[in-house]
Amino acid sequence: MTLAIGLDVARSGLAVTSDQIATVSRNVARAGEADATRKIVQVVTGPGNGVRTAGWVRSADAALLDKVLAAASATGAQEEIARALGELSSATIGDPELERSPAALIARLEGALHQYATAPQDVARARLAVAAASDLAQRLNDATRAVTAIRERADEAMAASVATLNDLLGKFEVLNREVVGGTRRGADVTDALDARDGLLKQIAAEIGIRTVARADGDLAIYTDSGVTLFETRPRPVTFAPAPNLMPGASGAAVYVDGVPVVGTPVAMPAATGRLPGLAAVRDEITVTYQAQLDEIARGLIESFAEHEQSATPTLPPVTGLFTYPGAPALPPTGTLSAGLAGTIAVHPNVDPARGGDANRLRDGGISGNAAYVYNTTGAAGFAERLQGVIAELAAVRAFDPAAQAEPAASLARFASSSVSWLEGVRRTSSAEVEYQRTVRDRATEALSRDTGVNIDEEMARMLSLERAYQASSRLITVIDDMLGALLAAAA
Amino acid sequence: MTDIIKPAFISTASLSEATRSSLARLQGRLAVASQELSSGRHADIGEALGLRTGETVSLRQEHAGLTAIIDANGLVAARLDATQDSLEGIVDLAQRFLGSLIGAQGAEPAPRALVAEARTGLAALGDMLNASLDGQYLFAGLNADTKPLADYFASPPSANRAAIATAFTSAFSITQTDPAVATIDAAAMQSFLDTGFAAEFADPAWSANWSAAAAKNIQSRISRSERIETSTNVNEAPFRQLASALTMVADLGLADLNEGAAKALVATAVRQVGDAIGGLAGLQAALGVSQERVARANTRMSIQIDVMTTVITGLEAVDPAEAATRVSTLTQQIETAYALTGRLHRLSLLDFL
Repeated sequence: MTLAIGLDVARSGLAVTSDQIATVSRNVARAGEADATRKIVQVVTGPGNGVRTAGWVRSADAALLDKVLAAASATGAQEEIARALGELSSATIGDPELERSPAALIARLEGALHQYATAPQDVARARLAVAAASDLAQRLNDATRAVTAIRERADEAMAASVATLNDLLGKFEVLNREVVGGTRRGADVTDALDARDGLLKQIAAEIGIRTVARADGDLAIYTDSGVTLFETRPRPVTFAPAPNLMPGASGAAVYVDGVPVVGTPVAMPAATGRLPGLAAVRDEITVTYQAQLDEIARGLIESFAEHEQSATPTLPPVTGLFTYPGAPALPPTGTLSAGLAGTIAVHPNVDPARGGDANRLRDGGISGNAAYVYNTTGAAGFAERLQGVIAELAAVRAFDPAAQAEPAASLARFASSSVSWLEGVRRTSSAEVEYQRTVRDRATEALSRDTGVNIDEEMARMLSLERAYQASSRLITVIDDMLGALLAAAA
Repeated sequence: MTDIIKPAFISTASLSEATRSSLARLQGRLAVASQELSSGRHADIGEALGLRTGETVSLRQEHAGLTAIIDANGLVAARLDATQDSLEGIVDLAQRFLGSLIGAQGAEPAPRALVAEARTGLAALGDMLNASLDGQYLFAGLNADTKPLADYFASPPSANRAAIATAFTSAFSITQTDPAVATIDAAAMQSFLDTGFAAEFADPAWSANWSAAAAKNIQSRISRSERIETSTNVNEAPFRQLASALTMVADLGLADLNEGAAKALVATAVRQVGDAIGGLAGLQAALGVSQERVARANTRMSIQIDVMTTVITGLEAVDPAEAATRVSTLTQQIETAYALTGRLHRLSLLDFL
């Protein structure tokens, strides 16, 4: 009966070759997909009964995939930070040549005061000085508002990221179940594995993860800090976005399975991914920068503070040109008053646009209390007070070290050191993004290079499969002929 | 997930992705390079300078500050120039008047002509001391918005003229226009000039009747560290002496005085005008020093500004030759990448099957 066996073997060859051709066409069809891997039919040879398809494997590389995941997380974090820093810089500083930063406007105010001090009787100069002060106060208000907007956007993005994460984990559960079930049944799960790897890449972009492979293709996901994200079932990721973030206040934390992983303060903080990046933007970078703006505002209020002018002063100093809701008392010196940059304003008593008298800038007593009038004789050429203010602006004062800029400096110097801080962090972060992107691109390329589909190779394999199919068919024909000859001889 | 043995291999997707991503990166760099070539400055100053951005901001602050000071010094210098001009005129007036007085002291007294000259001189002194520049009275000290010297010949008669008349009447019991002034003897006249009349030109009468100027002069900051007096005021002694000399000749009935009294009066006037001329020279010298300090501060600050401009440019500018080279290199690279992409896409086994 060897002819019949030969026929069986040839038929099994045809079946396997068809499977292989089908696999080649599947490979070619998905050649352009980023997550697609090359599928290969596993063929086993049974003694005496030909070949059969034992299953499908794919060209996966767990180590390379881990690298891609880590790079995706690191890039996700740095990209968010770099983007926020870029927005902060363009919203509050811009090109130094345009002189729009608070630092540049302080210099402009000093210049206007100087012009005014040279001709104190000139109301036009007084108005220009008050206008320069209004511009500066407005600029600080705008700047801190822009910072708050960036904080709130980060908070919203965190909420969106958490929603995405929950959605991805849900999809992951479906695919994981398919993989585990399919593996147990011996079905082809390679496409499900590809899709599951794709989901992992997306999850890793949101938050840094570690994966642990278990029996039957099952996969568990932990955050890079070790909190379970997925194990058989997805763990809930929860976050309560804040409707408005007050300056200095931190936003809410992100919880995974009831454990806080992102936001401050957190016991097991996730290190990488968009979520920690956004949290760093929301709770660290913007808070520090806003503190710097607040300190600039406090420095201004202090520089223009008025002192009682009697021979034996008993009254405390009060706010002058610049005021804030806590006026007439001065904000505590040397420490941060959160939110000051948003509320600082030019006192209406000195602002001609609001019915005030710009000459009060020269004479003192802006708050309306006669005890604080410097120019007691009302002399039009009185420049003492203006000179005093100019000296105060140039004087070294203490700033809250929490603002992370120059702790003891003149106001102008502090403001420019704030620019330095922001641009310094931004430069470092841009370089880091550039580096992380390169790492990610290389890792992705390496993964794709090793596990992806090459159409040329598939076509070449197609040719050989075609030949194999032809040979098997030929065998069947030959055996058929032989059987025919045998039957004819028997008849 | 069994790993399979892999030959040297590259996937079609990574092949096309590589050229695509490198093209995007090159194009981004080309955009930056061409912007830098056209502006001559870094496309993104903050990112290019990092921590040093504060330096350029500080320099710009300093630059703006010094420019404002130099600007303001323009006004200071103009005020000083105008004050010097007026002082020159006043010295001139004093010297001419002194000449006439000395002439009158000599042989033939011409009291009526002298009185007339003193009257115009007093009016001219008022005009010159009330000079203003850009709404600011030059000789008013801190009271820059008030006319410093009262007009002696105003009608109705001003406080200073009335006070002189009262002093005269209380000393001699007659008015200045009374012909009986001829009876005043030299000793009585001299004593009046030294006491009752002199008191009108000393405080408190002077500041009550004559002057509305503040005793303090305007101080200007002409550089970051220098503050100097940049005005003078009518309360200075030379102005009082000159006003006193002019007034005694103009309004004490000199024409009708007897010879002895007239001589005593003219002699006092000569002494006072002489003192005034000396004092004016002192004022001119002091203001001249201020003028020179302003000029020197300006020169110094201009040099500083030039240095700052150079440093700012050094920080912010890009080397145009380097930028041009970068643009041409990038253009070449992009063209190569295009050509490569085209070739790669044409390269397919399918074409040969």
